[in-house]
Amino acid sequence: MSAATVVIGAGADELVAAHLVARAGHRVVVLAQGIAPRPTVGWIPPALARALELDRHGLRVATDDPWAVAPLAGGGRLELWQSAERSAASIARVSPRDAARWPAFCDRMARLARFLESVYQAPPPDPTGTGAGAITELARLAWRARRLGRASLTDLLRVLPMPVADLLDDWFENDALKGLLAASAVAGLRHGPRAAGTAFALLDRQVGNRPGVFRPPRSNAAQVLGTLPGIELAGDARAVRIAVRAGRVAAVVLADGTEIAAEHVLSGLDPRRTLLELVEPGWLDPDTIRAVRSIRARGVVAEIEVNAADPGLAMPLVVAPSLDYLERAADAAKYGAVSPEPLLVVRPVAAARLAVELQYAPYSLAGGRWDERRRDGLAHTAIDLLRRSLPAGAGAFEVGAVRTPLDLETERGWPEAQAAHAELALDQVLWMRPTPALARYRTPIHGLYLCGPALHPGPAAPGAAGAHAARALLGATALRPR
Amino acid sequence: MANRWDAIVVGGGHNGLVAAAYLARAGKRVVVLERRERVGGAAVSEEAFPGFRFSVFSYVVSLLRPEIIRDLDLPRHGLHILPLESTLTPLPNGDYLAQWNDHDRNRRELARHSLRDAEAYDEFGRTLHQMGRAMKPLLGLVPPDPASWRPRDLAGLARLGRHFRALGPAQFHALHKLATMSAADYLDEWFEGEALKGTKAASGIIGTLHGPRSPGTAYVLLHHYMGELDGVFRAWGFAKGGNGSVSEAIAGAARAFGAEVRTGAAVAQVLVANGRATGVTLESGEEIRAEVVLSNADPRRTFLDLVGERHLPAEFVEALGRFRFRGASAKVNLALDELPNFACMPGRGPHLRGAISISPSVDYLERAFDEAKYGEFSRRPYLDIVIPSMIDPDMAPPGKHVMSIFVQYAPYHLAGGWTDARREALGDAVVDTLAEYAPNVRRAILHRQVVTPADIERLVGISEGNIFHGELTLQQLFFLRPVPAWARYRTPIEGLYQCGSGTHPGGGVMGAPGRLAALEILRR
Amino acid sequence: MLRFTPFHPRVAALCQSHAWRRWAGYVVASSYELSHEREYHAIRAAAALIDVSPLYKYRVHGRDADRLLDRVVTREVRRSAPGDVLYTPWCDAAGKLLDDGTIARLDERTFRLTAAEPNLRWLQDNALGLEVAIEDVSDSVAALALQGPNARVILEAACETDLGGLRYFKQAAVRLRGSPLLVSRTGYTGDLGYELWLEPGDALAVWDALIEAGTPFGLTPAGMLALDVARIEAGLPLIDVDYVPANRALIAGQTSSPYELDLAWAVKLDKPFFVGRDALAREAQRPPEWRFAGIEVDWPSFERLFAAVGLAPRVPSVAWRTSVPLYAEGAQVGYATSGVWSPLLKRYIALAHLRGRWGSPGAAVEIEVTVEHQRKRAGATVVTKPFFDPARKRA
Repeated sequence: MSAATVVIGAGADELVAAHLVARAGHRVVVLAQGIAPRPTVGWIPPALARALELDRHGLRVATDDPWAVAPLAGGGRLELWQSAERSAASIARVSPRDAARWPAFCDRMARLARFLESVYQAPPPDPTGTGAGAITELARLAWRARRLGRASLTDLLRVLPMPVADLLDDWFENDALKGLLAASAVAGLRHGPRAAGTAFALLDRQVGNRPGVFRPPRSNAAQVLGTLPGIELAGDARAVRIAVRAGRVAAVVLADGTEIAAEHVLSGLDPRRTLLELVEPGWLDPDTIRAVRSIRARGVVAEIEVNAADPGLAMPLVVAPSLDYLERAADAAKYGAVSPEPLLVVRPVAAARLAVELQYAPYSLAGGRWDERRRDGLAHTAIDLLRRSLPAGAGAFEVGAVRTPLDLETERGWPEAQAAHAELALDQVLWMRPTPALARYRTPIHGLYLCGPALHPGPAAPGAAGAHAARALLGATALRPR
Repeated sequence: MANRWDAIVVGGGHNGLVAAAYLARAGKRVVVLERRERVGGAAVSEEAFPGFRFSVFSYVVSLLRPEIIRDLDLPRHGLHILPLESTLTPLPNGDYLAQWNDHDRNRRELARHSLRDAEAYDEFGRTLHQMGRAMKPLLGLVPPDPASWRPRDLAGLARLGRHFRALGPAQFHALHKLATMSAADYLDEWFEGEALKGTKAASGIIGTLHGPRSPGTAYVLLHHYMGELDGVFRAWGFAKGGNGSVSEAIAGAARAFGAEVRTGAAVAQVLVANGRATGVTLESGEEIRAEVVLSNADPRRTFLDLVGERHLPAEFVEALGRFRFRGASAKVNLALDELPNFACMPGRGPHLRGAISISPSVDYLERAFDEAKYGEFSRRPYLDIVIPSMIDPDMAPPGKHVMSIFVQYAPYHLAGGWTDARREALGDAVVDTLAEYAPNVRRAILHRQVVTPADIERLVGISEGNIFHGELTLQQLFFLRPVPAWARYRTPIEGLYQCGSGTHPGGGVMGAPGRLAALEILRR
Repeated sequence: MLRFTPFHPRVAALCQSHAWRRWAGYVVASSYELSHEREYHAIRAAAALIDVSPLYKYRVHGRDADRLLDRVVTREVRRSAPGDVLYTPWCDAAGKLLDDGTIARLDERTFRLTAAEPNLRWLQDNALGLEVAIEDVSDSVAALALQGPNARVILEAACETDLGGLRYFKQAAVRLRGSPLLVSRTGYTGDLGYELWLEPGDALAVWDALIEAGTPFGLTPAGMLALDVARIEAGLPLIDVDYVPANRALIAGQTSSPYELDLAWAVKLDKPFFVGRDALAREAQRPPEWRFAGIEVDWPSFERLFAAVGLAPRVPSVAWRTSVPLYAEGAQVGYATSGVWSPLLKRYIALAHLRGRWGSPGAAVEIEVTVEHQRKRAGATVVTKPFFDPARKRA
């Protein structure tokens, strides 16, 4: 059996990479790590979908419409739709002034998001690179930025570092609208809306969406990719060790002891787990180790499944009545406590079953662990808040499965319950994501590559990191005689 | 009728005085018009109580540009900067963390708390030194406009690009981190001790309504570090005579070059005709004409009060509306009958000649910030304390002392406003906090002066009492300060310039904006 | 404020010159007597007793202790036996020196590492995934150097043991008048000598015992100035003087690789991994840009410079640590970082960094000399180190 390219993980990034490498003539083995397949959240770049003919193989993309619904104090709802006009009509009922500004806001954010889309579809440039390739990439980025024109370029440079609270305060007056938009911006982040860099997060959520929509689409991309021929997909196989010889990958060792000889290894697991747990210790220098250890994940979400007697709830329902509400919710998480009034996002998963995503339940608790008592506490908080936020007579709720941040880490491979594997922050983007040395998908171990949301472009465009990683792998391979 | 003056400087703050000095040195006829009876703006010394001199607002010299000290020969005009030797951080458990100038002494103290931190400290200092050097050129140039096609801007952008690329990957990435991270996260990568992290993080929150865990505060940390950078020029210390002597020295230099400095001359309006500034009108009604008008006032005061919206393009006014002030700092100045006796380091020791920082941990600072976010002042605030009379005995009568306490957070937008009662309550909170570490301080207080952001606005004219004339956050720095495309000291009004901290490179007693504005004017 | 070593009570009583200096936050004697000369001569003619307690020392213990050290240093540690001592540099990931020191294997699983600078954090950060305990024992181990031709007889007298079996760069445990200590046949003087590692509580007793046993043999307490002369004669580099550690260098040009410090022999590239290995492997494929060698000043040309102004030549008896330019063919080709007049060899010697071929033994260069406020140049020759290498050092 010749040495294979072993791919660890079976998410969209890993499978895209697997297929691209297989098409180049390599034998590819994909280890799904026993993680149950889930819908792919995010925008599949059209060029990628075309290259892998995903539409022909049954790719289905779904967007929520409305994409966010906020219950209003005193009854009524604020709804944001896929159609910006429809959203404007809903906003007009709470603030005509904000409704009048909504189209311009959508337009401005959409322009910036389109810029991000073009940046996301290429690997990150290397700002200090001296080779012709590096200079070309940089020039391209600079050119694209300048083609935005003065207004949009200024917008970009202002908006990127801003707190989303300031951005929304600049545009709007209505608390419910601002709360709703900010909730999208801070999704998955430990910060509140007053933190710098959260406006960038809002733009990130716009990527791949119609103007005025700040929630990523969902698709069955990973599932479709899993069915395409050309790779060997082992659903239950779990890699536990990456064997290294003379600074090169040599094999991947599975939980059951099997060893797969590997010429290349491409890991979609988060970088910390890959490099500090799977790779045999002793091959990385301390600066690399320190940098990998410093990658910030800091997940703050928990999921509570709820059986609803009356499933006629408008969804996705977002409980985030104002910027201050979100900011207070985030305050608790800073000190390792669960917010007593968290951010909730409720969506349907099946008939009469809802999934409640509760945010600002930090993975790292101050003085304590995620035990049964805290698990129950989460459920109570969620149900309580849900009842208080909805109009009377909304029906009864019954708690189903509760997934604490610890559960999410274990079941989904989300380090510290962070779905993006590495916090989306201005110091962990582009050539810094997840660390400068790892940003081009290679690692100090020859033949070991990384992909997944911890690599550029991050969670907004699943599959893109896989494509970039595959190209890095094939580029390196092309130089070696076969 | 020929103008009597080439240039009028509105406001005698240190930046305006610097601008006047450089213009006068180049042979221009300059007059500085200051509303108050003394120059200096927020860099003033006042005898608030007989015999006791306070640096009422700013209280240390941290960032004064060495080229300004040299060009204006400030030492000859009375500037004498005395070093601050140490920082003491008393801890709630009775222990303390002290940081000393001497390397061995400092290391030994850090090692007492953490061997790892003691070892990391040198490398941390080196990194910040390199980062300061990397940023330094930016303090001395006019920010190029990234959206412009003008040759000067393109050349400036190219030069900047080359400068940053030449740093090499390690330093470039380190700078990227410092520019975007929170002070807390950045310090977590280096140190483990809470007291050390808290004290270092404190310099990341100065003058901002942000906490140490807010992204963007690592940049402010670097900004404050740059005073350490200039070797023998070492402009970080205490000015003999208080911060007023900095302003007086600069005013002296300006006068020596031929500038006139008028106090008690409040400017009511900038005269604008056909989009051109032609002079100013004083509150007394007197009109003074000049070719060029420089405003040392903050951007909002300059454009909305002194100029008036009607003379300005609508987008400019709108963008100015997005420039945020949100003052967050206050001062408590005390006249003391005796020295504070810190329980963690009793007696009169060298620590009283340095700074005392109430910043026992990052969480302490963050909680102080949490209160301020929602319109309250911090019950247990961050305090940066110096005892000027220990360094310069002339500041107080013999045997007595003055204490200068910088306080955060005291938000300008306080729920219910800054009434007299609230001002005193803030003063009480400060004294209560200090008394936890130096119990004798209550009975030692002879007089107390509390300066809130509202007072800063009222007394010195700075909008919302923000000591930097506008927040030092990335979205309003560099070519975005105070308004995109108007970061070149020029304004939409021909002949009107801005020269205060509301322009690049921002605040602190630096003098850089004043100098750069003057050089821009001279360039034409 | 500053610290005293465990020997301070004895040192202070003897320090007639009151010439103190700082070493790693400790106060140590630059010289005991008003001049350091007799102390230096004791190193070469009898024996000297030097307090070296301010060295940083680490106890590395555990199943993976040797693996940790092999990850960090450039030499091979794993194959050492209990009782072996190695001198080794260690580097950062770019292959530039961070520090240099000795590693003594105390037993299968225990090592003592000495260093000039603190290294706890570096060791800890390298220990990921290893079963090893690292303890900073800098303050709990006192250290003395006993160096010179009479060092052995003195030590044997004090320990009442035969030390003939203690070979060069080996270590043994002995008892000195009841105080247990470790003795390593190492030192910083390039002579016959030993370093003693002991409990701080035993420091004064050991000192007194050595003085008593050693005085008849000419044992003399010696300070840093005397040591400096000897170490230059021995050709041994000093951190912060002859090289800038990579973690303090402000620019890349200040750093040095082991190849640039004449330490190629200490770099074992066939070790599978150590920090900096890949960078050093790449560097090894090119001739080194800089070399570290000895310089001997040509006496007649040196003497002529002084004679020209009517003076006798003035040579430094205290070693200088400034940077002195070296020239050849009209251009600067290097710089000397440590230099002194060797009273023993009767030569003016220096340690220097030279570019390329100018670092080859026999190369003729010129060294800058300031004579009556004017900069002049004297001839000098590049020589191999050490300048002084007596047979007794290894016997």
